[in-house]
Amino acid sequence: MEIDLEQSDEEFVIQKAKDAFKTDPYMAKALMLTAKSLYPNNFGVQFEAYLIEKNAGNVKEAARCFSDLISKFQQTPDLWKEIEKVTSALRSETDSDDAEKQFLCEMFKHISSDVQHKLLLFTADHCEDTMEHCRLLLLLLQRFPTAISSYGPRLVDTLMTAEKHSVDGHYPINPYRKLLVCELLPLLAKQEINLELNSKLLLKLLQKAVEYYLCYLGRSSTTLQDTESSIENTWCKLFSMVEFIGKQLGWEQYLINFNLIFTKEIYWQVILTHYQARTKNNLITDDKQLLYCLSLFFLYCLHEYNGSLSPVSSPGQTATNYLLVEAFTDPTLPNPMSEPKSKKRKSDTEIIHTTNPYISVEKPELKNIHSNFLMCVNCWDLLHSSENLHREFIKIHSHLKIDTWLSVFLIDYALYTARFDECLVSLQKITDSSLMLHKYIRLASILYIKKNYSSCLEPILLALPLLPVNNSGNLSNGLIVGGNQRHLHYLPLTRMAVLQYLTKILLRCIKENMGKHDYSELSIGHIFVLVQLDWPQEEDFVPSLLEEIKQHRSFQYHLFQNYIINVDIMEELMYLWTPQGGQIHLEILPNLSSQRRIGTRGADKGAKEEMKQAIKRQIARSNERLDDLLINFIQNERALILQALV
Amino acid sequence: MSGSSEVNLKQTLRKIEYPLCAQEALKKIGELLCSRSTNIKSMDLSLDLMAEFVFWESDRRGNKRSHALSPLVELELLQILFEYLNSISNEATRNTLFLNLFSPITANIRLGILSKLVSLAVGIPSANILMCASTWMQQLGNTSASSCKLAEALVFDYIHLSSNPEERLKDLSKIAPQFVANFLTAVAENYFISKKEPKYPPDALLRCITNWVSEDSNLCIAAQQRQGILPPGAIAMEATTPIAGLLRWCVLAPLNHQDQEIYSMLYLALLNSISAIPRSNPPRAINVQHLFGIVSALIIYHKEIRSRDESKMNVFLNDPAMQVALDRFSQAVQIALSVNAIYGHIDELFNSLQSLPFNKLLSIVLNKYKESKAPIIIV
Repeated sequence: MEIDLEQSDEEFVIQKAKDAFKTDPYMAKALMLTAKSLYPNNFGVQFEAYLIEKNAGNVKEAARCFSDLISKFQQTPDLWKEIEKVTSALRSETDSDDAEKQFLCEMFKHISSDVQHKLLLFTADHCEDTMEHCRLLLLLLQRFPTAISSYGPRLVDTLMTAEKHSVDGHYPINPYRKLLVCELLPLLAKQEINLELNSKLLLKLLQKAVEYYLCYLGRSSTTLQDTESSIENTWCKLFSMVEFIGKQLGWEQYLINFNLIFTKEIYWQVILTHYQARTKNNLITDDKQLLYCLSLFFLYCLHEYNGSLSPVSSPGQTATNYLLVEAFTDPTLPNPMSEPKSKKRKSDTEIIHTTNPYISVEKPELKNIHSNFLMCVNCWDLLHSSENLHREFIKIHSHLKIDTWLSVFLIDYALYTARFDECLVSLQKITDSSLMLHKYIRLASILYIKKNYSSCLEPILLALPLLPVNNSGNLSNGLIVGGNQRHLHYLPLTRMAVLQYLTKILLRCIKENMGKHDYSELSIGHIFVLVQLDWPQEEDFVPSLLEEIKQHRSFQYHLFQNYIINVDIMEELMYLWTPQGGQIHLEILPNLSSQRRIGTRGADKGAKEEMKQAIKRQIARSNERLDDLLINFIQNERALILQALV
Repeated sequence: MSGSSEVNLKQTLRKIEYPLCAQEALKKIGELLCSRSTNIKSMDLSLDLMAEFVFWESDRRGNKRSHALSPLVELELLQILFEYLNSISNEATRNTLFLNLFSPITANIRLGILSKLVSLAVGIPSANILMCASTWMQQLGNTSASSCKLAEALVFDYIHLSSNPEERLKDLSKIAPQFVANFLTAVAENYFISKKEPKYPPDALLRCITNWVSEDSNLCIAAQQRQGILPPGAIAMEATTPIAGLLRWCVLAPLNHQDQEIYSMLYLALLNSISAIPRSNPPRAINVQHLFGIVSALIIYHKEIRSRDESKMNVFLNDPAMQVALDRFSQAVQIALSVNAIYGHIDELFNSLQSLPFNKLLSIVLNKYKESKAPIIIV
């Protein structure tokens, strides 16, 4: 080796080490050890030693050098840069493919915890950016749980203040809130120690957590990016927050322990027992734990309910939403309410309403919609059972801005409790374009219940263009049940089922409106058209109408050729026309009737033949699509239909 | 114990066939040595019992037996010794018995059995017996001829005869660190000794040692850190660390054309071990006398070169082997000084270095030392 006289001793040793790395790394390391021992207070030498170990990828050795550096040269800018690299690497530990970052993280693990602690605290204290500062402190707490009792509450404070002053602090999902709710609070919760935070602050933290997660859930339900499990997970996190805060506040274990076999029914019993015990002892005023646990449980049930209204479809199938509507009853059919099956389930859960409407679903798999709804009703009623509870809940409610969550339920609830005017008011308020079909279906339904027949047609007409295009579906067979109690049904929002439902309403409006007129051939004709869709379910409407025609001995309906293709109905009418049927005068073929108004009593052979031909043509059409036919009918003949409704 | 019972005891033991009687004899010897009232008489008796009933050295009249043990009987004896010693839970009792069985006076004649016993303890392994052996080496001097012979026997058994020595010996430093430390000190003395035909450690041994020392930087001072428990009244001897011995290997290797990379590795492991030595006052890890040994070897080599080739001064000035040797030596000295691990007359050591060729690292280390000796220099 050439000896350079200009070179200082330090440079000589370092250079020798660097040269050696290529040929004999062990010798190089030995030389670095020597250099460090020769110049213990020379930052350049010590730092070079560190860099050499780092570049050679020697984790343990680098960690040793780095610890030395930190204990000796804290004020040196070059070291600061390196410390920043380490802390930034630690923060992106999980998602880093950067080799240097991985190395630094690995190295950090080999530093003694004393030095680690010092490093993080020092960096945090020197950090000018609040977010950085908080992240670093969090990192410190994650690595050193023993520091939690001294720094945890301070960090809570800092994060809340920082959120208040940040630009997006008014929106629940902001970086500070995320750090607080998703990282810091779970970390604190893990510690099983009393943090000695005051109860006002703890409740505020709980509110912040609830607000954050609800907002998160609200967002994920619109973007639909999150899987079901992550939503389930969100509730778990939220419940564990309640458990943590509840524990700190000394709440009853049974109210906050969601880990035990958690079913809604069991938890409801727990809440109810607690409520009853409190009421008995007159402790209900200002019972924060009841208020928060019940409110949160309600929101959970509500979320489940809203979710069950739009169940996830199996792959390849179109998702179907469900909507609670007033359905129909037929006293001649057996009453499902009196079936022994429902008697057996003595309904603890339905304590409040004594005369409940019967609620049906389309198929057994959808029963959870019903039970979710009832659980929401239970919670809602309990929340409104005392003035104090109600008042406090309104505070939470308005704070959390959960109106969109509530909107559907509140209408359902009003419908369930038969407060139709309230329903109408709420429905009129709906402006969300995605809810228009809901709105018109329900408007039609409620206007029918309120016997406001003439107003029914408009929402029906508005609903028709909104029928789902890609989801044809089938006719529902749950729209009519036996008995004469009220019947509500979760209507599948498919093209067929909605059309069926609207047709049924229109049909009944016309039928019930017939009483106002003496003999409305137009109404009878419309009914013949409308019953065709759900044939033979609606067959029972026909005989009485035929009887009426018979009495009046004549029937005129110009739309016959356009809309009546049901073979059974045509057969009945033709029978009336024959001598055996009473030779009723039928004016159903427009041309025929106008030409031969006089003298049809006589057996005009040509006319007879024409009628037969016409019927034959209609029968040939009997396989046409009834849904299109019905939609055309309602849309094209609105004026004539309206005549039957006034 | 009265004279008659002594006779009775021997009579009873003679009724048992050898080597089964060794078992009973060992029990008796243990009792005699470790009882509260140990006296000269019982010591004598125990010596008799060992010679006659354990090692088959003398007959009933105390005369030397003419023939040695057959290998098979020796094997049986080894088993008895191993099992008996290994089963003693009290370390003081175990060491006392071991030190007496292989006392300085008898060690030489019993070294064969001793080596086989320790070899067995390495193979099994038995931490108990290895601790005995460690204490034994220390008390007899771990660089003594007996210790070196024991080391040689172990190297023969495990390095030359064993198929995969590294794997077999890997965990030994964890099981018996004190023993390994003393073994290292002893084995270091067996190689790189200036003779006409110096012996070099086999590569497998080098790898074993390097693995041990690299893995545990406290291994070299293990025997100093925890000494075996000695019989009451015994004077504890200070264990010599293997640092100087192994350093000699590394420094002299380049001069002997031993350029394998393993020496670099071992050297680095040594430096790490030295830098990890906890500070003690007075220092005790490295005796300057042992470093002198290295310096004199360097000087001899240097003189030889010079006498061989007087005319070409430049050649030996730049002799790369010598430079590597000096680099290694000076660095080790520097690091040892920085942790205050050398005891003795260090000034003399530096003086003796004057006659060696120039080496930059060495001069830096020298200057550094001078500065530290006279920190305030007013120009």
